[in-house]
Formats: sequence, structure tokens, C-alpha cells
Amino acid sequence: MNELLNLILGALLVLNLLLVSASRLRHCIKLVAIQGVLLGLLPLACAHPADGHTWQFLLVMFLSLIIKGGLLPYLLLYTTRRINVRRELEPVVGYSLSLLIILALTGGAFWLGSVVPTAVAHGASPLVLPAALSTISTGLFLMVTRRKAITQVMGFLIFENGVSIFGTGMMIHNGLLVELGLLLDIFALVFIMGIAVFNINRSFRHIDTHSLNALGD
Amino acid sequence: MLALLMVILPLLFAAAAPILRKRPLALYSLLPATGVSLCLVLVAGLLYPEQDLFCLYLGGTPILAVDAVNRFFLQLIAGLFLVISIYTFFWLPAAQEHNPPRTPGTRTMHRYLFVLFMLVFVSMMNLSILSAHFGLLWVAIEASTLASAPLILFHCSEASLEAMWKYLLLCSIGIGLALFGILLLAFAGKISACPPASLGFADLSAPGVIFHPVWFKIGFVFCLVGFGTKMGLAPFHSWMPDAYSEAPAPVLALLSGALLNCCLLAVMRTLNLAPEAVLPFCRTLLTILGMLSVLVAAFLIIRQKDFKRMLAYSSIEHMGLCALLLCYCQAALSTHVIAHAICKMMLFLLAGNILLAYDTHRINSVTGMFRTLPRTACLWLFGLFAICGTPPSPLFVTEYLLVTTLPPLLAILLLVLLFIVFAGMSYACLSMTMGTPAPDCHERQTAQAAAEQLTIVPGAAALGLLILGYITVLWMKQLL
Repeated sequence: MNELLNLILGALLVLNLLLVSASRLRHCIKLVAIQGVLLGLLPLACAHPADGHTWQFLLVMFLSLIIKGGLLPYLLLYTTRRINVRRELEPVVGYSLSLLIILALTGGAFWLGSVVPTAVAHGASPLVLPAALSTISTGLFLMVTRRKAITQVMGFLIFENGVSIFGTGMMIHNGLLVELGLLLDIFALVFIMGIAVFNINRSFRHIDTHSLNALGD
Repeated sequence: MLALLMVILPLLFAAAAPILRKRPLALYSLLPATGVSLCLVLVAGLLYPEQDLFCLYLGGTPILAVDAVNRFFLQLIAGLFLVISIYTFFWLPAAQEHNPPRTPGTRTMHRYLFVLFMLVFVSMMNLSILSAHFGLLWVAIEASTLASAPLILFHCSEASLEAMWKYLLLCSIGIGLALFGILLLAFAGKISACPPASLGFADLSAPGVIFHPVWFKIGFVFCLVGFGTKMGLAPFHSWMPDAYSEAPAPVLALLSGALLNCCLLAVMRTLNLAPEAVLPFCRTLLTILGMLSVLVAAFLIIRQKDFKRMLAYSSIEHMGLCALLLCYCQAALSTHVIAHAICKMMLFLLAGNILLAYDTHRINSVTGMFRTLPRTACLWLFGLFAICGTPPSPLFVTEYLLVTTLPPLLAILLLVLLFIVFAGMSYACLSMTMGTPAPDCHERQTAQAAAEQLTIVPGAAALGLLILGYITVLWMKQLL
């Protein structure tokens, strides 16, 4: 069981590197979809308590797989098609430099994972914390350094996936109600952001967030 | 069961909004109807205090509950919403008539969407206050962000689109960090010797539960950053002035009077869990953020050119003060929260009146309000003195108590900063009320008349504030 878990976490770590070096938007969205699917499979690899809540557990997993691996990437893809941006992400930081930065951040995450008193004894894999931190920082990094509004939505999605990696990897169970609420919130958020991107495109004729600077002191 | 009613009722009224889209009067009356029914539910709860009417259990664990911490926040928000909804009932038609979109091609949001999102927003705020589970609290706060973001887009202009984007993005990142913080707290409980049964507040604060101190510290930092972003604490406040300069007045009154307090409650909940060993660390962090908020607010209020942004910075200042009160003088916190909510609500509603009459939010363009809008001008000045803590404002008492309990150096710094805020705000407010009106303002006489008719609700709020001030002064006399 643990082999599978480590395999998924390792794949998630590699995905982060691929995400920052991808230059095409469609490609990036596909990578996010793969990340969502891997995240959805993560609970299967974790040991979970054998109480009467197995069906709840499976329901949440199934829904999260559908929403994060299918529905949200599809929404993003639909938005890009409607507003007609397919090509470059116009990064503020170049691709090779961002790759280096993410590598450094991942190294930092591994170092942090070894410094803080971890819970290997509690059945969690030592890879969970580095993978989660690295994904969170990749998401935040993409939000800061890519110019298009749609990439910021994507960055947020990656960031949120990172938080969920921590939650599932450390086997923190919130109960059915909260998990469903979480998924619904994320879905509604991406939906509203998609509409906002669409509106920004219509009013400004582009979705470059660097020109959203009329307000301020 | 009543707790469920507090959440469901606004949602039911919201569902009625699309049906009534063709009948404006019935549509607008949904808002006061919700306000009245929420207050009635609360009164029903007050009539039978001995029974646990507000708890809702699901499979043996409480989902929604009223305890000592959140009871008064719930009452505050229901009361505020009632007042704001009455104002909105009269304000919406006037705003649609007198404040047309500035740039051609843009339009105002459809009125039924406005009512719908407003009601969903209130429902989610009630849920965030009532939730007895950390995860549910997170879900509700995120949902309240989502429900309030479209409200900023009332005039679908480029500026409001930018404000909404910033609000949505920054608050979502903040709230996402808070989720990470909550998971870290859960983990801190899980790996300790005596883990809590669940993430419910009752389980987390049960006697004997221990948290791993290092993980708790990390979790607390993330929670504070996350909820602090939504609350408007200083280094994370940048969405707030932008959103406040674009959103319509009733939404602002709700955002500032109610939503910020929901996040304050979340921070309080987190702080209450802190084990003895970590408490000094948490307090130091909160104090730093609080002082920084007051500092930033003071230096940005003094050179402010936009009166709605000025009020936004004043909210940041008061949230900073709330953070300080949380650390040093918890007894005065609830008074400060109530007084700030009522006062800020009144000021934002008055700002809505001024916007209606002058159609601008630049301080320079508004002059001679004593001639054109005498009632609004009097209340505006009263609000200014009240929010800056001039007696008989209840804020005077709470700020006095805070200054006396702070360490001397911090107290002196805080007094200087409060003085700067006072100077900046009074300069702006006096220049708006005094002087002669601009020659072209006669063209907007009908709008000015409409704005003057909307002063009844803020006037009632001013009266309430005076009464509250009297009560707090009596309370202070007991303390001395």
C-alpha cells in the first residue's frame, strides 16, 4: 500500500516541475487535470480506519475525482476557448528560472519536512509534507508570476490541491458534510472566477491582470 | 433547530427573488421581510433561554450551536441586517434612478440578482457564526466571499470589475491558507498524546485535549494570515480599500459591520484553542498585526482623496484595535465590536446618501453639505466624532480601557496614531460639510431631496449609538 502512496506523491512532485515549465495554456490545464485525478486517487492508497463510514469515504473520493479531475479543468478549457487565448502564458519570470525556483522551493519543502517533528510513526508517509508544501508554493508562484487572469485561476486550483494533499495524506477526516461543502465551494469559486475572466476580457479586450491597476493609493 | 432556520430562511427568501423579478416592490420587500423574520427567530430563542433551541445535531455531533462566544455576534448581525435591509428597500429604487452608470455601454446589475446575492450572503454569515465545526466554519466563510463578490459588481464598470477580481483572488488565497492552517491544527491535535475526537469546537476545547505545540504554532500562523486577510489586518489588507470604493452602500455596511466580525470570531475561536505554552507567541503575533493595521490606516487616512476609501481604512484601523483588544482587554471587545459595527454601518449608509446626491466619491468634489444636505451633514459629522472615539461614543470607553492596559510604549504610539486618524478624518469630513456648494450642484436637486429622505435609518442608528454610549459610560463608572 505504501509503495502506491509514495508513487502518487512522487508523481505529484514531478507534476509541479512540469507545470511551471509548460508554456502552453491547454497543456497546463491538462496537467492540472492529471493532478486532480492523482489527488482523487490518493485516499485509496492511504490506510483508513475500518469503521462504518466507508461509503461516505468512497463517495467523497468519487466526487472529488469527478470535480477536480474533470469538471474544473473542463470549465477552464471552456473559458479559454470562449475568450480565445491559447498560446503563451507571458510569464514575468522566464520558464527556466521558474523551474529553478520551484526546484529550490521543493528542496526547501523537503528540508522543512525533515526539521519539523513529523508523524511517520502515525502511519503518514514522509513524502506528504514536502509534496503538499511544494504544490502549494507552485500554485502561489504561478499566481504571482503569470500575467493572465486565467492562469491565476489555475494557480489557485493548484494551490488548493496542495492543501488537499496535506489533508488526505495526513488522513484528517472532516466528515461528509464538510468535505462536500469544500468541493462545492471550490467549484463555485472557479465558476465565478471563470465568469469574471469572461467579463474582464469583454471590458478590457484582454485578460492581462497587470493592467488592472486603476485603483490604489 | 432554530439555528437551521437562521441559515435556511434567507435562502428560501433568496429562492423567491427570481420569481418576483418582474415586480420590483415585492422584490425589494424580500429584504426587510428576511430581516424581520431573522430577528423574530432570535426573539423566540430569547424567550426560552433554558432550552437548547439553537443546537442542531447530525449523527450525535453538533453541527450548529450557540455558545457563549457566538451568541452576541449572531444577535448583532441579525439586528444590523434588519436595519440595513430597511435602508436598502428605499435606497435601491433611488440609486437606480439617480446614479446611472458613468461610462456608456455598462449597466447596473439586475435588481433581482442583487437581492438574491444579498440574502445568500447573510445566510452564509449566519452559518459561519453558528457552525460548531472548524471545517464548516471554513466552508461558510469561503461561501460568504463568493456570495459577496458579485455584489461589488453592482455597476458593471471596469473599476468595479478590477475591485471584484482583487477581492475574489486575495480573499480566496487567504481563506485557502486558513484551510491549510485548520488542517495543521487538526494534525497538531492528532499526533499529540490526547487527541480531540473531531474538529468540532466542543471536542477541540474539551478538558484534557492536548495539541502538539510546534504544529499548533505553524497552524495558528496560517489561520491568522488567512482569516486576517478577510478581516483586513494590515499587511494583507490591500483588497479592502479597492472593494470598498466600488461596492454600493448597503453592501459596504454589511461587509464592514458583519463580515469582518465573522472573521474576528474565527480568529477568536482559534486563539481560544491555544495551549498555555503557545499563548504568548499567539498574542505577540496578534499585537504586531494589530499595531501594524492601525499604523497603515493612520498614514493612509491622512492623505486620502476618496471618502469611501477613507472609511475602508478606518475599518482596517478598528480591526487592528479589535486584535489588540483580543490580546489585552477581552472584557471590552464586545462593546467595541457592537459600537464599531453600528457606527460604521451608519457612516457607510450616509456615504451612500452623499454618493446619491453628488454622484462622486472624491472628497474635493463634495462641498457645502450643510447647505445642500443638512440632515446628512449633521449625521456625517456625528459619525466622524463617534468613530474617532470622542465621548459620548462607546468607542471612547473601549479605547480608553485598551490604552490603560497596553504596555506604556505601545500605548503612547497608539495614542499618537489615533490622533493622526482623527486629524485626517476630521479634515476630510469638515471640508465636505463646510464651504459653499459647487455652482453646478443645483442640477441634482431631485437626487439631493431623495438622499435627504434616506436619513431616517442612519438617524436611528445615531440614536442607538448615543444610548449605547450612555450605557458604556455607566459600565465604566462601575469599573473605576
